[in-house]
Amino acid sequence: MTSEQILAEIREANLTYLMLAQSLIRADKAQALFRLGLPEESADMIEALSPAQIMKIASGTMLLCRFRADDDMVWGLLTNHNVNARTANDATTRLHAGIVMAGRYAAETIAP
Amino acid sequence: MATSKSVLGDSRQIGRAVSLINLGARLQVLESETELSYERLLRLYKEVAGKSPSKGQLPFSTDWFLTWQPNIHASLFQNIHTYLAKTSDLEPVDVLIKAYQLYTEQIASCDIEPQLSITRAWRLVRFMENNMLSMTQCSKCGGHFVTEPYENAKHYVCGMCVPPARAGKGAAAGGIHLQ
Repeated sequence: MTSEQILAEIREANLTYLMLAQSLIRADKAQALFRLGLPEESADMIEALSPAQIMKIASGTMLLCRFRADDDMVWGLLTNHNVNARTANDATTRLHAGIVMAGRYAAETIAP
Repeated sequence: MATSKSVLGDSRQIGRAVSLINLGARLQVLESETELSYERLLRLYKEVAGKSPSKGQLPFSTDWFLTWQPNIHASLFQNIHTYLAKTSDLEPVDVLIKAYQLYTEQIASCDIEPQLSITRAWRLVRFMENNMLSMTQCSKCGGHFVTEPYENAKHYVCGMCVPPARAGKGAAAGGIHLQ
């Protein structure tokens, strides 16, 4: 990938993310906070962005969305690695990951 | 009731009642969570659901939430509910409705039937508020699960990390299956 391609891909991903985030927040803010894992202040900012602002923010060298499953436990569950042999099926591990993630982000967003 | 004189407030109450009925709530939930009269709720129920509401008492025991499969459903719902309650300043009814929608959505994405009805979910939130049930962190995976109020957190392991011997064997279609 050339650096131009990389920048184009990042802009594309940022645009998609911001537009999705904005429509989620506008549709239902409380549920959007859960889905996006964002604090309310960030959600308010994204909600207020105009299309021109979105275009401007999206074109940069950095991705704006962050990886959420960044610990071994959740990662293992989501990828079906290192889990108890008896619970190693798709539905159970996804469910388990859902429980762990929902609880974790609840704790994180509250912490100052 | 005297408190809901405002027409706007009244329509908001009806809107809430309609969403609850659509989610399958029993009449007792509606009576407790809205300020509409019993007669109006009954008429609304028939209009929205197209049938009379089920009669009889609500399940009132905390035991159901502690059995293996329901516990997983209840824990998922309760985690979502806590998240929404902490991150937004919604009315408790709205938190219940939104959390329940997110719960059913996530369950559907796993191809499982939602075992926790909205009425059960509402009872669960009540049990939590009254400290008849609480959340304990699993010492293995760090997830929060519905448990008895005085569970020893140091040794607690959830039903997902170490499922009980018979769990997930005879489960009917739409349940959680284990090898």
